[in-house]
Amino acid sequence: MEKLAAASPAGVLLDLAGVLILLLAFACLGSKLFNRYVAYYGAQSVVLAFAAGVAAWRFGSVELWILAGLTLLIKGIGIPVAARRLLLRRVALARDSAISIGLSTSLIAGGGLTAFAYLVTRPQLLPHGLAAAAVVPLSTAVTLLGALAMVVRRHTVAQLIGWLIVENGVFLGAITLVATFPFIVEAGIFLDIAAGVLIMLAFVTGLTRQLAEASATELRGLRG
Amino acid sequence: MTALAILVAAGPLAGPLAVLLRARARAAGLAGVAGALLSFAAAVALLATVLHRAPLQGWAEFLYLDTLSGFFLLTVSGVTLLAAIGSVSYLAAEQDAGRLSSFQVRLYFMFFGLFAALMLASLETGNLGLLFVLIEASTLASAALVGLEGKARSLEAAWKYVIISSLGVTVALAGTLFLFYAGTALHLTSNQRLTWPYLVAHAAALAPAPVRLAFLLAVAGYGTKVGLAPMHTWLPDAHAEAPSPASAMLSAALLNTGMYAIIRFLAIAQHRLGAGYPRAVLLGFGFASILIGVLFMVRRGNFKRLFAYSSVEHMGIIAVALGFGGILGLYGALLHTLNHAIAKAVLFLSSGDVALRYRTREAAEVRGLLAAVPVTGGALLLGSLAVLGSPPFGLFLSELTIVRAGFAQASPVLPVLLLGFLAIAFVAFARTAAGMVTGSAPAPASPYAGQALGRSAAVPLVLGLAVLLVLGVWIPAGLNTAILHSLAVIT
Repeated sequence: MEKLAAASPAGVLLDLAGVLILLLAFACLGSKLFNRYVAYYGAQSVVLAFAAGVAAWRFGSVELWILAGLTLLIKGIGIPVAARRLLLRRVALARDSAISIGLSTSLIAGGGLTAFAYLVTRPQLLPHGLAAAAVVPLSTAVTLLGALAMVVRRHTVAQLIGWLIVENGVFLGAITLVATFPFIVEAGIFLDIAAGVLIMLAFVTGLTRQLAEASATELRGLRG
Repeated sequence: MTALAILVAAGPLAGPLAVLLRARARAAGLAGVAGALLSFAAAVALLATVLHRAPLQGWAEFLYLDTLSGFFLLTVSGVTLLAAIGSVSYLAAEQDAGRLSSFQVRLYFMFFGLFAALMLASLETGNLGLLFVLIEASTLASAALVGLEGKARSLEAAWKYVIISSLGVTVALAGTLFLFYAGTALHLTSNQRLTWPYLVAHAAALAPAPVRLAFLLAVAGYGTKVGLAPMHTWLPDAHAEAPSPASAMLSAALLNTGMYAIIRFLAIAQHRLGAGYPRAVLLGFGFASILIGVLFMVRRGNFKRLFAYSSVEHMGIIAVALGFGGILGLYGALLHTLNHAIAKAVLFLSSGDVALRYRTREAAEVRGLLAAVPVTGGALLLGSLAVLGSPPFGLFLSELTIVRAGFAQASPVLPVLLLGFLAIAFVAFARTAAGMVTGSAPAPASPYAGQALGRSAAVPLVLGLAVLLVLGVWIPAGLNTAILHSLAVIT
């Protein structure tokens, strides 16, 4: 496989995109209002689509261009718009602040996770001088921050978007670390995510009908 | 042979097809049974063929089938057959009682078939990326089954299941990426770098650090689907809230599919890193699962949750057996997979009958099963004994093999610990199960008297118990060869 050098233009752009994606993950984690949380997720996906575009341009790969387009359309526009409609119109949930720990605590935890991501991925795993050496710690951190968002956010839709942030992190790692990942597999992953979002939204709608506001705080029937 | 492989995976699609053709709910169920039967027959034929031949390969190794796949195909398609037969009478009873609409029943057969087909397909691929795609898709199909009843509790269980499992499988995807990256130096096409026969063959040239990380992520990720502690939290809820035949599928088929994925990663990791590291990881997760499973089995409550925690325990036992390694350990692990799958299918299917008849899922409210419903009560009693590893059932043999594998290792501490846990599990589980089956039958006029299942409900119970009994006293030569050949794939 062709190596993507960190100093090449594509490497620099990917690095930059990675940093932006990490910052947007922090923005998601730190946003109290629900609609901003969703908006930051959308922005993150747009940057991710840009990163995929950079990789596509660098490797001249049609498949990656398609993936970049799909990312922009589905993750950057489709899901945020759908989530806002569902939540703002139907569930009337404009300012959900259902976070189980304080915002500052979750941001500090996020900082800790980012440091952890650097500790585990940097030293032995990746040779220096590759774009991946800079981006993979970032993508690992984004993955962990998404998981943290799933833990601290209480609303089911917020947890769903947390999972999508995790997916974004893995996808960012994938395009820099292994740009030549087989297209059939990538397309299958995309299909899974789309189907997953649909089925999860179906559950959320069902839960909304059953419970007052489908917040995970209410999901306490099953224990032990 | 390729046709057989397609038939195995496509067989269960007969149910969804019937639903799409607007068949009535019951006809869709029967179509599902016919499809499952076809799939099982094809799986047997396939295993018999692949035993004496080179692995089946095709479509750039997206189709790859060796003896290990054949063995798991046999297990999963067998369980699918039992659950499909059980589904017909269970769903008919639920529909007659008015708890499920005709639409919901058709939806059930739709997703049941899809779920089975996706799992069987995931066992047939040689590509780790496609494996991820199919396992995640099967998660989604089965989540629809868990949430089918549409009540707050079942939706909660389905939500918990789908969100935890999706996150887990995404972690496994990260592991797959690192494994792909570990093969950067190899002169293989990108498809081949995701295909395990190539990865195993070129294991020596893989970069060790990414393989290490990949194995850990894969065990944690697919371990979520297997129900290894501490990622098991979705499992008791999903098993308790799903319709009983779907619980049987989750416990006996889905968990094994996850374990199969772990075994594939284990083979690669062992070839590159030696036995030490994978062993430590598997023993750690395995003993944690046994501990959690046993602790929660002590509590008396919902009997379907009890069976679910027993599944956590048994998955832990299989992980421990893989960790012990050696011919004995791996042989025990595979044999235990098959035995546990059949026993758990019998238990969950009989629990469906109990839940319908007594209108409760609380063990304390169930009394006198043997007197009231001899077949179901008997199946529950014998199935419980089998799951607890009493002779003469198959699980006794496989657990004995696993413990012996442990003693073949240097330190006797771990197998002794395992025996201790098994003893506690026996007491805890048997206490609840014995309370359910003994005593006098409830009066017919009591509020618990629900409706009975059709006579076909007894078929999978008797069939499953018979197989367990046979496996306890005699392992057919073909099966023995299949397991031994599978071991050669792993080590």
